[in-house]
Amino acid sequence: MIGHERDIGDRTQPPWKSPVALSVFLHGLILVVALAGWSWTTPISDPVPPSISARLVTQAEPEPSPVVDVIDEPDRDQERQEAEEEQRRQAQEAERRRQEQERAEEARRIQQQKEQEQQRQAEAEQERERERKREAEQQAAKQKAEAEAKERARQQAEEERRREEAARKAEAERLEAEQERQKQEAERQAREERERQEAERKRKERERQLKESQLEALAQEAEQEREAEERRRKEAAAAKARQARMLSESEKYRGLIRQRLMSTWYPPASATSQMSTTLQITLLPTGELASVTVVSGSGNTAFDNSALSAATAVGRYPVPDDQQTFDAYFRQFPIEFNPENAQ
Amino acid sequence: MKNRVNRSAGRLSLLMFVMASLFVVPATGNELLIRITEGADSAIPVSVVPFAESGQMPEGDKVSRIIQNNLQMSGEFAPLPPEQMLSLPSKGSDVYFRDWRLLGQRYVLVGQVSNSGGTLRAQYELYDVSQEKRLVGATASAPVSASRSLAHHISDRVYEAITGVEGAFSTKLAYVTLERNADGAIYRLQVSDVDGKRARVRLESDEPILSPAWSPDAKKLAYVSFETGKPAVYVHELESGNRERVADFPGLNSAPAWSEDGRSLLMTLSKDGNAEIYRMNLATRDLSRLTNHWSIDTEPSYDHTGRGFFFTSDRSGGPQIYHKASEEAEPRRITFGSRYNARPRPGPSGRYVYYVHQRDRAFHIARTNLESGAETVLTRSESDESPSVSPNGRMLIYATKSGGESVLTVIAADGGAAYSLPASRGDVREPAWSPIVR
Repeated sequence: MIGHERDIGDRTQPPWKSPVALSVFLHGLILVVALAGWSWTTPISDPVPPSISARLVTQAEPEPSPVVDVIDEPDRDQERQEAEEEQRRQAQEAERRRQEQERAEEARRIQQQKEQEQQRQAEAEQERERERKREAEQQAAKQKAEAEAKERARQQAEEERRREEAARKAEAERLEAEQERQKQEAERQAREERERQEAERKRKERERQLKESQLEALAQEAEQEREAEERRRKEAAAAKARQARMLSESEKYRGLIRQRLMSTWYPPASATSQMSTTLQITLLPTGELASVTVVSGSGNTAFDNSALSAATAVGRYPVPDDQQTFDAYFRQFPIEFNPENAQ
Repeated sequence: MKNRVNRSAGRLSLLMFVMASLFVVPATGNELLIRITEGADSAIPVSVVPFAESGQMPEGDKVSRIIQNNLQMSGEFAPLPPEQMLSLPSKGSDVYFRDWRLLGQRYVLVGQVSNSGGTLRAQYELYDVSQEKRLVGATASAPVSASRSLAHHISDRVYEAITGVEGAFSTKLAYVTLERNADGAIYRLQVSDVDGKRARVRLESDEPILSPAWSPDAKKLAYVSFETGKPAVYVHELESGNRERVADFPGLNSAPAWSEDGRSLLMTLSKDGNAEIYRMNLATRDLSRLTNHWSIDTEPSYDHTGRGFFFTSDRSGGPQIYHKASEEAEPRRITFGSRYNARPRPGPSGRYVYYVHQRDRAFHIARTNLESGAETVLTRSESDESPSVSPNGRMLIYATKSGGESVLTVIAADGGAAYSLPASRGDVREPAWSPIVR
């Protein structure tokens, strides 16, 4: 920054406005005017021969070789005519050149004389000029050396300044880079921290959710357990009620069956109150008798037979419509025949 | 996890409990015994299908008709009139049980009778309709002249097959008829089948005949006859017609009763001044006095043991039934229900004693349960007398008044339907049921 300020001060006077440059420019201008003034002293009677340009041409440019167009195959006649035309034109040209050469020979001889004179004068002038020039050059060299020294110093300073500037800039850049790096590092760390925290948060969230879901599951299980318990209780109560209902229902049908059997049983004459026959009855759900067997006999054939006959005489047993009650009590049941009031 | 296992185990056990209970319930249901302690009051519906006949049949009732009547008379059966039958099968293979079930029948008797050379041959089968089971299948034969015996025999078989009690249809009845005409009264001692048929007069007299009693072998009758002008006890051999006056003491000679072995007679004698009960050894004519009381003791009858006896005594003021467990035992009063209970006749089982029972000026037949002392009046008619129990204990015959005349009526011993025997001419009284002759 400091260099910068210095630099601004130097730039107020550009280099071409320096005294050395002005001097050099003036010396050059004088030389040019002198030279132009010398040439203007040449007599006008001696105009510039056109041979000058010709000479320059002869010397400078060789005869160009004919163009051969290897690509086109032009018409032969036209080619021949063109070739003749060319021959004639070349002959005329050769003539014109010989004449011109003769005129140029003459001019050259005169010119040589003039030139020898002019050369002498020019050499003298040149000697003076060289003297003046040398002096000017010396002056200029001196000025130039000074300027150069100055320039070098300035350049050195400039260089120094630029170096410093660069160093400063580099330092700044380095610092900046460092800062950037640190910043990035910080950002990275922050980001990593954020990520870590996010991960932690997520993990905790997951744990929380898991815990919650576990708690929920536990609660749900407890609820289910309660419900199951309730259901079991209700089922037990219902089963009890059902059994009670079935029992009362079965009681009703047992009464009906008893009635039917009392009307179909003819206790034989031999029956006594001590006699007892137990039959096992198996019914179809329709109440029809599927089978009947004597579980325990009385020892009296007629008595056992009367029981069997009574049991089979009931065409259709009165049974409940309810299948469960039927299955529970009436699918198979025993009947005891025991005439309490017999002799 | 453990909890879950426990829970699922709990659920499993619950499931198993539920499933088990499904099987357990019927088992407990089996404990719910249905007990039948009473049967139908009505008589057993039985169908005696008229037997198919081949050959010359005897005059009179057909065999199947006799059987039907017998069963009807027992009071225990209600035979279906043949005109109500849907079919008349004569053998088991023709019996369609569904038909008989539709008719509400419990038993069906089918059979065929053929006469070959003067011999009646009966093939018969008894079926249990509800069980569709044959209870009896047999063949019996008898001379054509004994077709009623054949029918009674079949009746006995049928009766025993169904009731388990020996039939008494082949037994006899002894009774006395009184015919009054212009010359006076004619008493006849008669013997008939239990259905009153085939009656034959064994003794005819202008004087009263009383108290016929069957010997245990059913070959003799003891009775009281006034033929000499005063009562005497006679023993009458039926086959030969020989008769013997065994007791002709001064005063009262009455109410003979056979001992179990047929060697002795119980009788009432008043030779010692007061009516007392004696036992007479028929071989020696020796007497043993079995009662000794200032009141009247009469109408003795051996109990089922053959050692003790029942009798009537008014020692309590009016006639009542007493029992002596043995000849030496103290008499025990049996009846208390009314002021008049007389003429005891024990049943063969020893459980009941039957007698004439007065209630509200009417005389009925009643019985007392000797175990419980419970008295049951069996008849509703008003002048019932002389009860006699069938040897199987199932029927009771007694005399009663009907339309101004005395008739015999048979009822079930437990008081079932009454069956009046067809009366011969005039009054019929003093019936005595014979023992079963084996």
